[in-house]
Amino acid sequence: MTQKHEPGECRCSRGLTRRGFLSTVGAGVAVASAAGKLAAQPAASQGADVLPSAEMTPITLNINGRTHRLLVEPRWSLLFVLRERLGLTGTKVGCERGECGACTVLMDDLPRYACMTLAVEAQGSEITTLEGLMRGEELGGVQQAFVEEDAFQCGYCTPGQIMAVEGLLRAHPEPSQEEIQMGLSGNLCRCGAYVHIFKAAGRAAQLKRGQ
Amino acid sequence: MEPRDVFLHVRGEAVFVDDALLPAEHLFAAIRTSHVAHGHVRSLDIAPAMAVPGIYEVFTARDIPGENQVGKTILDEPLLAESEVHFVGQPLAIVVGESAEAARRAARAIQVEIDPLPAIYDVRQAFAEGSLIAPPRTFSSGDVESAWEQCSVVVSGTVESGSQEHVYMETQSAFALPTDRGGVKVVSATQSPSMVQLVVARILGLPMHEVEVEVPRLGGGFGGKEDQATHWAAMAALAAWRLKKPVKLVLTRHEDMTMTGKRHPYLSDYKLGLDAEGHMLAYEVTFYQNGGAVADLSPAILERSLFHATNAYAIPHVKAVGISCRTHLPPNTAFRGFGGPQALFVLECAIFKAAEALGVEPREIQKRNLLQDGDAFPYGARVERCRQRRCWDVAEQKYNLQAGLKEVRQYNGRNAWRKKGLALMPICFGISFTSTFLNQAGAFVNVYVDGSVGISTSAVEMGQGVNAKIQEVAARIFSIRPERIKLETTSTSRIANMPPTAASTGADLNGHATRLACLDIVERLKDAAARCLGKNAPHEIEIRDEAVYASGEATELTWEKLVNLAYFDRVSLCAQAHCATPDIFFDRDTNKGNPFAYYAYGTALVEASLDCLRGTCSIDAVRVVHDFGRSLHPLVDLGQMEGGIVQGVGWMLLEEVMHDADGRLLTDTLATYKIPDIHSIPGEIQVHFLEDAENPPGIFQSKTVGEPPFLYGIGAYFALLQAMKAFRPDAHIPFSSPMTPEKVLLALYPGDRPV
Ligand code: FES
Ligand code: FES
Repeated sequence: MTQKHEPGECRCSRGLTRRGFLSTVGAGVAVASAAGKLAAQPAASQGADVLPSAEMTPITLNINGRTHRLLVEPRWSLLFVLRERLGLTGTKVGCERGECGACTVLMDDLPRYACMTLAVEAQGSEITTLEGLMRGEELGGVQQAFVEEDAFQCGYCTPGQIMAVEGLLRAHPEPSQEEIQMGLSGNLCRCGAYVHIFKAAGRAAQLKRGQ
Repeated sequence: MEPRDVFLHVRGEAVFVDDALLPAEHLFAAIRTSHVAHGHVRSLDIAPAMAVPGIYEVFTARDIPGENQVGKTILDEPLLAESEVHFVGQPLAIVVGESAEAARRAARAIQVEIDPLPAIYDVRQAFAEGSLIAPPRTFSSGDVESAWEQCSVVVSGTVESGSQEHVYMETQSAFALPTDRGGVKVVSATQSPSMVQLVVARILGLPMHEVEVEVPRLGGGFGGKEDQATHWAAMAALAAWRLKKPVKLVLTRHEDMTMTGKRHPYLSDYKLGLDAEGHMLAYEVTFYQNGGAVADLSPAILERSLFHATNAYAIPHVKAVGISCRTHLPPNTAFRGFGGPQALFVLECAIFKAAEALGVEPREIQKRNLLQDGDAFPYGARVERCRQRRCWDVAEQKYNLQAGLKEVRQYNGRNAWRKKGLALMPICFGISFTSTFLNQAGAFVNVYVDGSVGISTSAVEMGQGVNAKIQEVAARIFSIRPERIKLETTSTSRIANMPPTAASTGADLNGHATRLACLDIVERLKDAAARCLGKNAPHEIEIRDEAVYASGEATELTWEKLVNLAYFDRVSLCAQAHCATPDIFFDRDTNKGNPFAYYAYGTALVEASLDCLRGTCSIDAVRVVHDFGRSLHPLVDLGQMEGGIVQGVGWMLLEEVMHDADGRLLTDTLATYKIPDIHSIPGEIQVHFLEDAENPPGIFQSKTVGEPPFLYGIGAYFALLQAMKAFRPDAHIPFSSPMTPEKVLLALYPGDRPV
């Protein structure tokens, strides 16, 4: 059931999410990636087994460095499992359709919409949620930057925005303006705190470089 | 501790309604709604739903023990439809099960048969058929009829403004827990805790004291949770109360978009007359408001449209008529600006057209007619401490309007297929609930023996920073570190009869109430200090920066020691206070009065770029000079300003709500309904805080911010129009928002329809 992600392949876009999703459930044949390329992905070559729908399946998830063994229905999203089974409510629900970014987490350092990712698909990957960015009691660099730049109002989109920035910086430690914009393009903020979120991304890059 | 739960948010520890830990055996509710816009419910068969595994119960209107009524001022809205349905998405039944998914599956399984009746979606048709929510209202001053003769130019036409979906990132949500006394506690994402309490009590047939409503915080509200959070809270309460189990009800985004109302679309007819110099002499406008199926807040919203019909301008002869039309769409509701933006947009359109007729630029008409002290609004209020002209002048100079215009002209001369436009947008927005009685709030302040402070108020924190402002107020009065002060959740058990947190009044009303309560405690502390020190009168005592001074001399007392000492001296360290905005009134028979505590003023310069081949527009810059009073919290105010502008631009250019011919929402996901993302925000937002802008009625001389910035977004529409005119001076551009790329192309290339 594991799915390997090529590092460097559309790092901060969400095309990967959907492709991964489709191939894992065995439906992917030709799906457009965010880069606009067509990728033929016969399900079999990805090693995806078709699981019985309503039966519970044991899985092991590695979340924020901890191993969780749990029973899931194959169709449960990672978002559902994080929030409703593991109580990790730092990851928010905004649309459950891959349209808002509130649920963004990292899988092997790449931002993913947890609502568009099956829990079974997340096996074998290192999953990081907002809770996993803390360094003990200390804020991680991106979190610190969001505080410094006042990068939110209601705070509901914030966990997703922070994870998107974290993923962006892991791939591009010194992002250009365009890269920041691309990295944040999958995350909506209805309060309209974008200007500050944008600045926070830049500040986070500095903090991570120890400046 | 930082204001606005900063650290909680970045750690993901801020608990929103859907995040709260509930007892293990809690249940989930889902809703079955009508698929028909108007019809008779012939049958509703719940048996198939009950057959779904994991289902506990299905509730319909018959299961409501009290009154099936969620209406506020006009009682026309059942919680669950009875024999008739009035819009697609109207709730018919509540299904409760052991998982949200089972409940949803069962809700779909309910068999509903509805015999369709004719439905109305269009305001003109509603008006013609007499389908109104309330009798029309007219605000007038001077004598429009006789004024037309004095005008050199009279323009008239129609303006359409579109709806807008709130898209608060946190969808509507609530959970309810039965209490041992047979009451219910509801945790709700609402802007109106007391309204929820009242309605839940009414639905369950309980006295209000058996219903506690608590609000932790909102993931955005924007007006969408002022009246329309009530339903879901009441449904969760009904289910929890009937089943004696905790019940959670959280709408999915799709449910939220289809079941809840939005900003009111308006269709407006205007007529504007000016003299040869461009003075506006007479203005007649009729607003047809699409209220949707029930009253909700529509009459109040329409009233604000009438108040703001003349925006920031002095016009001697005015007749503004407001008609709230009942249609078969979901009930439209409050949204930042509350009818104000719709009204401002109409007048700006009229000015744009008048400018063409006079052969001048719209900004010349705008500037010539700006309000100043001594002018009067059509509803009789005198204009005082007006800063409209100052804002305009400072904006012109600071942002170098003339140079900007020259640049735009040069750019347009150089580029054939890309054009720029620049527009000015002055705004004036009245601050207060226009229903005078709502302008009251309470605060409850507790000082604990260790010197820490807990404050409860009527305000709901939804990202607007009201808690940060209240914390600032208390820190200033006590003269202690803000970290000592915690803002509690909002609860009806701590503060009774709260107004909604709306109309941008949150900081003022609750700030003043907090100030009064803190002052009470300070007085008592000074008494206690005087008694302890033995040689001073209370008025000689001063608490400054956590230390206690007597006649200006430092004493051994600190804040903590003083509090502790007062406690042992048996002094009360808690205080409750109430604030009611003074000197406001409005007579709804004559439509005259002074309904606002003060007005927010400002002017924006908005610059747009248009790709004339694709019809796409980007906003290059929004540069604002705004009157914040003496800002209480510049960081919060700046955020409100930027966020409001982004939303306003979204409403004008991007966000299009569409229904099909049967009243079904077509734009029912975030893939089909586009709100601004990081690519579509203005390239630059500059905000200048107007200097020397004391505001005595505001808390610590400040002005509230919340809604007014939204109005600057209207400037984006006219900046785009300027760019379109630069490309095609003869273009006939309809006044219809949002001005999407499709509409731009249709206006730029009339007749060039694709084959
Ligand atoms: S909740 Fe996953 S993208 Fe919106
Ligand atoms: S801060 Fe409210 S949605 Fe982003």
